[in-house]
Amino acid sequence: MSASPATEVPGILRASSGAARHWLISIASVVAGLIVWQVAAQFVIRDPVLLPTPVATVGVLIRYLGMPYPSGGETLIGHALTSLGRVVAGFAIGSFIGIAIGAMMAGFRSFRAVVDPFIEITRPLPPLAFVPVLIVWFGIGEAPKIILIAAGVVPVMAISTAAGLDGIPGEMLNCARCLGASEWYTMIHVRIRAAMPQIITGMRLSMGLSWTSIVAVEMIAATAGLGFVILQAGQFLDTSLIFAGILIIALLGLGLDACLRRLQRHLDPTMRP
Amino acid sequence: MGVSQHESGLQPGPGAKRAASGARPGSTAVSVSGVSKTFWRDGRPTQALHDIELGIASGEFVCLLGPSGCGKSTLLHIVAGFIAADEGQISAHGERVTGPGVDRCVLFQSPTLFPWLTSRDNVLFGPRSRGLDNEETRGRADALLATVGLGDFKDHYPHQLSGGMRHRAALARALINRPRILLMDEPFAALDAITREQMQNFLLDLWQRERMTVLFVTHDVEEAALLSDRVCIMSPRPGRIVDIVDIELARPRDEALRDTAEFVALRHELRKRLASA
Repeated sequence: MSASPATEVPGILRASSGAARHWLISIASVVAGLIVWQVAAQFVIRDPVLLPTPVATVGVLIRYLGMPYPSGGETLIGHALTSLGRVVAGFAIGSFIGIAIGAMMAGFRSFRAVVDPFIEITRPLPPLAFVPVLIVWFGIGEAPKIILIAAGVVPVMAISTAAGLDGIPGEMLNCARCLGASEWYTMIHVRIRAAMPQIITGMRLSMGLSWTSIVAVEMIAATAGLGFVILQAGQFLDTSLIFAGILIIALLGLGLDACLRRLQRHLDPTMRP
Repeated sequence: MGVSQHESGLQPGPGAKRAASGARPGSTAVSVSGVSKTFWRDGRPTQALHDIELGIASGEFVCLLGPSGCGKSTLLHIVAGFIAADEGQISAHGERVTGPGVDRCVLFQSPTLFPWLTSRDNVLFGPRSRGLDNEETRGRADALLATVGLGDFKDHYPHQLSGGMRHRAALARALINRPRILLMDEPFAALDAITREQMQNFLLDLWQRERMTVLFVTHDVEEAALLSDRVCIMSPRPGRIVDIVDIELARPRDEALRDTAEFVALRHELRKRLASA
C-alpha cells in the first residue's frame, strides 16, 4: 500500500528466506522419514503384517478410495467424510459451549468458582473411559459419538477463552469507553475481538483433541468412519489399511489446522509476515 | 485565559503561588472540588487523594507534577470518569462527571492502539462506535493522520509503527472526536529521550494551534515547564495540591526555549518547589 522505509526491505527478504529455509528443512525431514520407513519395512522387518512399506500403504489407500470396505460398506472417502462430519459437529458444539462458559468465567467471579473444579476434573480424563456410560445414556446412534468429541473440546475452549478475555489490559477497555463506545460495543468490538487470537489457539488445540478421540468414538458400535476402518482392519491384520486410515486422519487434521491457522492470521495482523 | 499576553519571562516567585483553588477568569472547563479518594487493600486503607480543589479554564494547559505514587494519575482517572471519588464533585463544562464521556478524551502512557486495526481504522474507532462512519469522518481521519505525520502509514498496523508513531496515531484517534478536554496520563514517559522530546515539541505545536483544554500528568519537570500555562505540584500520600506555579513564558513557545537561561531557571525553581512539597 504505502511506501515502507527502504531499510525494511532487507529485513523482509531475510525473514522470507528464513521461512523458505524452514520449509525446505521440514520437507526434507518428512522425505527422510519416509525413506527410513521404506528401508526398514522392505529390508529389515520384511513382513507386511508387522510393518507395510509406505509405498504399499499408499497403494492400499488409493485402492480403497473407490472400493467399499468391508464389502457392502463405505469406500474410504465415505468413511473419511463420516469421521469428518462427526469431528466437525462435535468440535463446533463443544467450541460453542466452551466459549460461552469461558466468557461467563471471565465475566463473573462466582461462576468461575462454580465451574473451575469441574473443568479441572474433566480435563485430564481420557475420552475412552466414558464410552460405556455414553452408550448406556445415549444409545448407539450419532449422539454419543458427537457428545464424546464435544466433551473433550469444552474444557479446553473454556480455559483458553477465559484466559484470552482476562488478558486484555483494563486501559484498552477504558480507552474504548472514552472514545465513545458503549459497554456493549466495547464487549463485542474490543474485549471479544482482542481475545480472538487466543480463542483460535484454543480451537487449534481442541481440533487436534477431536481427532485423537475419533477412534475411541467409533468404537461405539460404529459401522462407518476411519476409526471403524482401523479397528476392523486390525481384526483382520490388514496392517497397510490401518496405516492408510491413520494417514487419512493425519491429512484431514493437517488440513483443518491449516484453515484455523489461516483464520488466525486473518484476525491477528501481528502473525502475518 | 489569555496566557499568551504575558510578554515574557518567569515569575515563579511568591506572587505566582496561590491557594489551591478556583479557575482563572473565563469559562471553566474542569472543576474539581473537595475530591478525596481512599483505596483499600487487604483491609488497609491508603489515602490517595485528600481534598483536591482544582479549576481549569477553557483552553488552558495544566500540568499535575509530582513524584510517582502521589495520586496524580488517580485524579486524572477520576476526571476521566473511570473511577468515582469518595467525596467531592467533578464537573466538565458545567456538567457533573459520572462516567467516561466523549468530551474528555484520555491518552495513556502506552498508546493502547487496537492491534487488529490499521492506523486509519484505529482513528475511526470512536466515530464508528457511535455510528458516525461517513464520508466526512473518513476524510477527517485522513487529514488528522496527515497532521500527525502518518499520512503514509494509514494502512499500517500498530506493530509496524515506531513508538513515537504509535503515540501520534493515538493522538489522532483522540482528536477525531473533537474532545473539548484532553486528559494525558504521562503519555511520553515510556519513550526514549529523543522521541520524547520530539513528541513534546509536536504536542506544543499542535496545542498552540488548536488550543483545547489539557490536563497533563507528569513527573518530568522540564516537560511541565515547557508545555503548561500552570503547574500544580502534588505531594505524596495523601495526594494534595501543595503549590501552583504560573508559567509565564511567552507563547508561542518552541524547542529553542529549552536552552534559554530563563527556562533553565524556571526548571530549577520548579524542581526546588517539588523537593519541598
